[in-house]
Amino acid sequence: MTTYVTAPAVDRPTATEPATATPWVGRDLTRVDGPHKIAGRAPYSSDADVPGMLHAALVTSTIAHGRVTDVRAAEALALAGVVDVLTWRNFPRLAPGPEVPLGWPPPPPLQDDGIGFHGQPVAVVLAETLEQAHEAARRVEVDYEEQPARLALDDAEPEPIPWVPDSSRGDTGAAWRSAAARVELEYRTAENVNNPLGLMGALAVWDGDRVDVHDSTQWPTLVRRGIATMFGVPLAGVRVRSPFLGGGFGAGLITWDYKVLAVGAARVTGRPVKLMLTRPQMFTQVGHRPETRQTLRVSAAADGTLTSVEHRALVAGAVERLPLGLVTAATAHGYACPNVTTSDRALRLHRRYSSAMRGPGEHEGNAALEVALDELAEQLAIDPVELRLRNLSTVDPASGLPWSSTALAECLRLGAERFGWGDRDPRPRSMRDGDLLVGWGVAAAAYGGYELPTSVRVTVYPDGSAAVRNAATDIGTGTYTIVGQIAADLLGLAPDQVDVDMGDTEMPPSAQSGGSALAGSVAHALHRAVDRLRDTVAELVATDADSALGGAAADELELVAGGVRMVGSTDIERWSDLLARSGLESLSSEGTVDGSDTSGGTMARAGAFGARFVEVVIDPVIGRLRVRRVVSVNDCGRVLNPLLARSQILGGTVGGIGAALFEDVTVDPDTGRVANGTLADYLVPTHADVPDIDVTFVGDPDRFTPTGVKGVGEVGLIGVAPAIANAVHHATGRRIRHLPIHLEDLLSTPRDRGAT
Amino acid sequence: MPTHDRPAGGECPPVTVSMEVNERPVDLSLDPRTSLLDALREHLGLTGTKKGCDQGACGACTVHLDGDRMLACLTLAAQVDGRRVTTIEGVPADPTGRLLADAFLRHDAYQCGFCTPGQIVSALGLLAEGRAGSDADLREFMSGNLCRCGAYPNIVAAIREVASAPVPSDEDGA
Repeated sequence: MTTYVTAPAVDRPTATEPATATPWVGRDLTRVDGPHKIAGRAPYSSDADVPGMLHAALVTSTIAHGRVTDVRAAEALALAGVVDVLTWRNFPRLAPGPEVPLGWPPPPPLQDDGIGFHGQPVAVVLAETLEQAHEAARRVEVDYEEQPARLALDDAEPEPIPWVPDSSRGDTGAAWRSAAARVELEYRTAENVNNPLGLMGALAVWDGDRVDVHDSTQWPTLVRRGIATMFGVPLAGVRVRSPFLGGGFGAGLITWDYKVLAVGAARVTGRPVKLMLTRPQMFTQVGHRPETRQTLRVSAAADGTLTSVEHRALVAGAVERLPLGLVTAATAHGYACPNVTTSDRALRLHRRYSSAMRGPGEHEGNAALEVALDELAEQLAIDPVELRLRNLSTVDPASGLPWSSTALAECLRLGAERFGWGDRDPRPRSMRDGDLLVGWGVAAAAYGGYELPTSVRVTVYPDGSAAVRNAATDIGTGTYTIVGQIAADLLGLAPDQVDVDMGDTEMPPSAQSGGSALAGSVAHALHRAVDRLRDTVAELVATDADSALGGAAADELELVAGGVRMVGSTDIERWSDLLARSGLESLSSEGTVDGSDTSGGTMARAGAFGARFVEVVIDPVIGRLRVRRVVSVNDCGRVLNPLLARSQILGGTVGGIGAALFEDVTVDPDTGRVANGTLADYLVPTHADVPDIDVTFVGDPDRFTPTGVKGVGEVGLIGVAPAIANAVHHATGRRIRHLPIHLEDLLSTPRDRGAT
Repeated sequence: MPTHDRPAGGECPPVTVSMEVNERPVDLSLDPRTSLLDALREHLGLTGTKKGCDQGACGACTVHLDGDRMLACLTLAAQVDGRRVTTIEGVPADPTGRLLADAFLRHDAYQCGFCTPGQIVSALGLLAEGRAGSDADLREFMSGNLCRCGAYPNIVAAIREVASAPVPSDEDGA
């Protein structure tokens, strides 16, 4: 008999000291799922396959606004192998999805004839084979009644974003008027598309009112709730699995249309349905980083001390769904400045649904601010590293509470040292390498810290092995591995004695793998689960006359390899004996965190901080820009596994290079169509675009939770693009106030050439 | 919506394809529209080769065709009749392939793992082509393999290590 003993979730101090002398946390362990990945054996949703499965292909709208007047599917239906064509007329009626953190899901697809963006699903074709489904989808003809579409940022009235309140402290206007130095600029950032390399898709299998969904998601727990709510079936019967995901970077955080369509099509046809998106559909169906237009006014005293920051952002959204925003949110927390005003406004346009993309909002807002600081430093003839150091704060400037940890000063100082910043000639166009212009740029970065509701179950078995279960997806950050390391320390085991399984809603519910919150949330919940386990052991031995541990309080017990002992003792009571006497096959406990402040309001929860130093070289004649080296120093609190954490920073840096130099969706101004929706047309960094990247971690374990973790996924990207932009100015003397920076921006003018 | 000249009815008589996949002969009867990538994944159950774009732009489907790097999504299965295909599942049979896989593991040269089979198969081709002479060459000739997680520096380090190592013989390892 397996018994789950689940203690009530009570907030109490947690164990902080690992049982072994040399903790597994902090070591460079290679990934436990690595052998599967390098052999091509890791199962992604695209690899799921069940007998009798139908293949689905989407037909999407070719107008941005209007309605569908007719879907002519006779030709498609006549093709061999085609089983059905579903449109709004015959797709099941669904309830709206549940509210989620920071917004609502898109309205359920195929519910009426309305069209709100180019690329909206209008039909799903179901056929026996992939080839038949895609051929038939091409033959479905759709008639529309088209209406004028709002596509440009100026076409819509700005409206507030409910979860991004305006902020204001001090008197920004008065400080601005009396400042020694002022910078005012408009900054634009382009639409970027996450484009994880794994095409997203879902395989849905119904059995009565139960449905099993193999999905590409960063948040199985959320998708489960979305499917249950929309289809009106019990949560208990909805299973969502995503044990491996071919990247996401925020594209997998919503119950997107494609998975609802797969589940609905399987419901209608009574057969399993697999719907995989095509690469062009990855540009239209699973969100993106929306376009922004920001205005920024920054002022300082003669010594470089900031006196005011006013930061306002317009963010492109869809008619049916507001964008995430959060563009100016970090500005109020960034630097010690007494007068700060921020606001985000959304624009409802006939464009595709946006979502999160690595460092969502923070990257865009930070880019504008860090470019403005560079301009300010130039105006005041202060070194840009020094300008930032003069404005750092050991307290959260918004709340006045001390940061739970910050090593931003060390990030800047160590980064400058590793880069060799002291050799920089501050004059633009002053540094050369042969005919090439050389530019050095710097930017600082921060990303907020938080935890989200998450539960973890720990089970110990008589043979001394242990299992850890949690529904989160390891998106490629290494969650499987770090969970094993943490559990090994807490249970006194080696990681290979801990079986970690994740990515399945049959396991305890979890936060998303996104927003840099998963490692900290799972780690903290795991700490609590092990505490509960110790409580449960104390309860068991209290009534066990044969136990040498009888009467011990939970905090007098220590979990070690093979069993339990009194702290300081060498006599181990073996799990096999302990469980056998209680008639148990195993012993389980669950730990939960709900994201609430456990510090008693004594400190501000810090996230990660960082500094980036970049060298670019530019051929002034043809405008070719290369990033030659990057130094990235980061304070991420306790680093659970430096090998894997470094990979996160590398990935963030590469993402930042993409945002700085390449990634730019072209939306056709007349039709709203994505004009460059392939990986041949939408440029992303390749091997040849990425130089050596020097990654260092600094700082101490964060004080806010016993885990000391601050998250490492987003911060690596933030600050990279403005550091590149500032390096471009240093190389060329040009201030480029938009992202990405294109080759055309760097082409030399006759005057430049005369000056060269 | 523009109409194109298409055969009526969409009936496609199957074609038979005989090829050698990872040193094993296979015979398939396929819809002639089937790409080599879909033949491997949907018909042979070799799902290690990944579909990242189906448009020849990402490199995730890289296989070796008669020893040369090739994009399986741009190759019709029917074109491969009588030819030799090596996929990620065949890499362990190659001594250099084993070294590469091990180097990828130790250098953490992957994150989500989706592009990884293509990177490894492509790197094996790159080494055979002798194009790992410098880091710049290596990066240039691996640029057909996108990695959206940004593991590039670690991928380069892993390939560099194998390129610098003595050439293994077939007797090494398993």
